[in-house]
Amino acid sequence: MASTAHRRLLQEYRALTNNPPDGITAGPMSEDDLLQWEALIQGPEGTPFEGGIFPAELKFPKDYPLAPPTMKFLGEIFHPNGMCCPHLPMGRYRRKLINIASVRPRLHLHPASPGDDPNHYEHASERWSPIQSVEKILISVMSMLAEPNDESPANVEAAKMWRDRRAEYEQKVRDGVRRMLGL
Amino acid sequence: MADEQISLPSLILIVVLGGLVVRYLFFSSPAPASQQQPREAAVERIQQMFPQLDRRTILWDLQRTGGSISATTERVLSGRIETPPVTFQPPSPPRSPANAASSATARSHQQKPAVPKSTEPDLITRYNLQSRISESSGGAENGDSVDGKGKAWSSNRDERQSALQRRRDEMIIAARRKMEAKIAAERAGTGSQ
Repeated sequence: MASTAHRRLLQEYRALTNNPPDGITAGPMSEDDLLQWEALIQGPEGTPFEGGIFPAELKFPKDYPLAPPTMKFLGEIFHPNGMCCPHLPMGRYRRKLINIASVRPRLHLHPASPGDDPNHYEHASERWSPIQSVEKILISVMSMLAEPNDESPANVEAAKMWRDRRAEYEQKVRDGVRRMLGL
Repeated sequence: MADEQISLPSLILIVVLGGLVVRYLFFSSPAPASQQQPREAAVERIQQMFPQLDRRTILWDLQRTGGSISATTERVLSGRIETPPVTFQPPSPPRSPANAASSATARSHQQKPAVPKSTEPDLITRYNLQSRISESSGGAENGDSVDGKGKAWSSNRDERQSALQRRRDEMIIAARRKMEAKIAAERAGTGSQ
């Protein structure tokens, strides 16, 4: 399996190991399958997510980097663009899938194929392209924790609370962070 | 003579019928195997469209929609796809003996996150760090030196794997210690007031 995806992922893994960005640990779950990664993202300082660690799963398509990976938070995270309440059976997958399209700075994980433009506001330059990388995705997701984008919430409940009852939202996030650490 | 003439065709009939019954009762399992081919193709197609869905969920939904790709796609898009019950055991994916070992490990890795999903344990439980938590602060210092060493890229893949594992563990333990200290400080603050 010495494909382009394999080589590229190994190269990115190497860069992330030698030069890890602050608060990010990422790599394949096992080198038997380089298309399945696991990442830990630290909650950014100065936000209610501060001190928290959030595990996420990245799945790469066979034609990566032509097509983008999908990312999913594995544990509980209460965020307008993330998901909450994973025990709810309804719409579980939609809630769990982080809406990376709303990441700031905008980073769209859609393949940049012409005509495939479900969100009409986006420019081609903002969509996924092979020059993006795992590191850029993870850093964008981290910055999104600090600055939710309420234009396209994945978790409507969290988005409403973030907008209308900020104190309650921050408390809920802090409680979640502690629960994740087993405290 | 008349008896023999009647019994020969009826004997053949009985043998054929008996054979069919035996085949139906005991050899019905190869039939689904031939059905499995289109089912696998359907799973693959849906997985291409929705990589976030796992195989088990797709199979469960396909079973409920009678193997219809379009019906399942419709259900995924409208968010009506459901989590399969724990009792649902999908047939294991067909694989050649050559890559059986690697796909077995891949499968165990796929199942690893699937278990915490249902219970949502904290990170300590998820990464089996209970024993590390109870270690003294001396253990943390030891961990720091290991962490520094583990940052370099190793040419040995097992070393790389364990270095990554170590960095993950250290990150979680460091965060947990920091949070413990913060909670202790908060408690002391409210206690003295």
